[in-house]
Amino acid sequence: MQINRRQFSATLAATAASATTPRLARAEGGKTIALMFDAFDSDFWITGNSILKSKAKENGWTTLETISNRDQNKQNDQVKAMVERKVDGIVFIPTDNNAAIPAIRTANAANIPIIFFNRPPAPNDNKYVAIQADNRKIMQMTVSTLVDIAKKQGGKYKAVLLMGDLGDNNAVQRRDGALDILDANKDLVEVASRVATEWNADKTFAGLTNAIQANPDVNLLISPSDSEDKIIEQVLKTAGKWHKTGEDGHVLFAGFDGDQNGYRLLSEKYMDVNGVQNLFYEVDLAYGAFKDIWAGKSVEKMLIDPGFAISQATLDAKRDDMWGYHVWKEKNK
Amino acid sequence: MIPEAGERKVSKMAETGGVLSSAPGGAPSRPMRALRLLLFSDYLVLVLTLVYVAALWLFVPEILSPTNLQDVFLQILPLFIAALGLMMVLMVAQIDLSATSIMAMGCVVGASIMTGEGGYLAGQPWAPAVAILAIVAIGILIGVINGVCTIVFDMPSFLVTLTTMMFFSGAAIWYTAAHTSSGSSIGSLPPAFLDIGYGGVAGIPYAAIITVVLAIVVHLLLTRTVFGRWVRAVGLNPKAAAISGVPVRAVVIGCFALSGLFAAFAAIIYTARLEAGTPILGQRILLDVIGAAVIGGVSLFGGKGTVIGVLLGVLFLSAVDNGLQLLGLSLSSVYAIKGGVILLAAVTDAIRHTLMARG
Repeated sequence: MQINRRQFSATLAATAASATTPRLARAEGGKTIALMFDAFDSDFWITGNSILKSKAKENGWTTLETISNRDQNKQNDQVKAMVERKVDGIVFIPTDNNAAIPAIRTANAANIPIIFFNRPPAPNDNKYVAIQADNRKIMQMTVSTLVDIAKKQGGKYKAVLLMGDLGDNNAVQRRDGALDILDANKDLVEVASRVATEWNADKTFAGLTNAIQANPDVNLLISPSDSEDKIIEQVLKTAGKWHKTGEDGHVLFAGFDGDQNGYRLLSEKYMDVNGVQNLFYEVDLAYGAFKDIWAGKSVEKMLIDPGFAISQATLDAKRDDMWGYHVWKEKNK
Repeated sequence: MIPEAGERKVSKMAETGGVLSSAPGGAPSRPMRALRLLLFSDYLVLVLTLVYVAALWLFVPEILSPTNLQDVFLQILPLFIAALGLMMVLMVAQIDLSATSIMAMGCVVGASIMTGEGGYLAGQPWAPAVAILAIVAIGILIGVINGVCTIVFDMPSFLVTLTTMMFFSGAAIWYTAAHTSSGSSIGSLPPAFLDIGYGGVAGIPYAAIITVVLAIVVHLLLTRTVFGRWVRAVGLNPKAAAISGVPVRAVVIGCFALSGLFAAFAAIIYTARLEAGTPILGQRILLDVIGAAVIGGVSLFGGKGTVIGVLLGVLFLSAVDNGLQLLGLSLSSVYAIKGGVILLAAVTDAIRHTLMARG
């Protein structure tokens, strides 16, 4: 098909005009929020993203998403890109709490409120709000409940403590919370092995397998995240240790996050306790903070989600506050 | 009569020319001549970059805003330095997968020296200088280890650098945990060091000065020194180079040492910008470093590479990244688009080389 220069120029102009129309329409709809994740390596973050987007939509806001794939330098650059896009607020999930500080300065310079979601930055004097679950306290509640169950059952216990990626402050806090209780109960529980899983399925599998091979009498297991539940199930099945509460050889098992797998395992009686971060509450805290900041009100720098521990005994009473239960219910309609 | 072989030669040329000609066996048309010029140009990657940016400008005009262009310029500097180092190794037909672990190890060691929270030289005015020397020393040392294992012990460089990558990644995490209460990174770095990240003199960023100096050094090394000729010779044919008297072992070790040195310089800039020594520094950019070099024309088979080519490769990758960031697309879209764009660039380059080889 022959096309002359005039026709080409007219087509290009029309294309440019039509391409900008959706952006104009979006700008009239309300505020724009940047959701800046580092990775979607667990159901917690996938569901978190989904809740953040749906609640933004309820508020009439548009969302832009970025993901850094756990590269803090890239994420700091992405903040600059969002500043260029003139977003009205930033929800930020950093990889590293120290290295995220330059991103706060970038947002402050552009007068864009920045809210750290579930992972606060290292203490600094810049303007930000951080929403955080008290990981250490929630893990203390969780392991404390597990130790109480162990005491009731009697006997001695040998534990494997799975830790996440120790570059992630959440993983560090959960490890410390678990050790706070375990160290206070050394007469009851001996920590036979600590496994750094780096939030990686292969490393979790290999580390837990090795730990059980080295300590075949392990009968207590603490996991830092329900994202590792399926791997744990696989390893324990292979080792002949996957038994329900009340059955011979049951391994006392504590999870963390409160995702759909955590709910399922609790309801099927393979898991004994789960430490739950209240994701719905955290999103409400974040968006409430945005509204207050835009209205010129001052907001506390740290907003805490106290979370809770849920066990088989309290499952029916507390499950409505467990975000994983709602995901499970949706999938099992 | 024209001999059969000659006829076959003419028709084969016509067949090849026919790929880029609308008139079989005849002179190529004007658009085809332009396309051929473009395809065989050393600046094809630059043209692809400009076309990409122009296409994206229709959707995100901010891509050409002065602040965004300045941000992109500053972003590419440490990646360019790391890619220059990798180019040296690729030119001798080897590979260095440990560059990012060198960055991680160097940055946490350097941070532990100068951090205000219990650093070895905390509060001392010379702490940043000593930290920089330590980062550089670590880079060179790991590079030499890689080089010696590869060429002296005759081990595949893929295996050697993969294992050093794993070893020093783990060592960086262990070192960080041993030097902090939080265990995740080492902050509170002195302002004098942080200035390297975004500070400057007479309006020129320090990072840009460092980058330009290193680029000039590499360019002169490759084009004006005997060492540069040795590097190409070893890359093209190490046996022939050895017979010709080229000290192959010293050249390969030297290239690995340079790769480590350049990774160290990249680490210095990244650490200054992140304001922290983190054990996962650079963990995700290895493919960007290799991709930038290869897209920029550095041959994976050795013997070929230019500083300007690497710069264009880095520019292309950074433009792709920046555009996708501005669009704010979902992760799946980002991966698909970035992979597709890089694949297109690589296929275009491969087609180009095939056509050039056919003449």
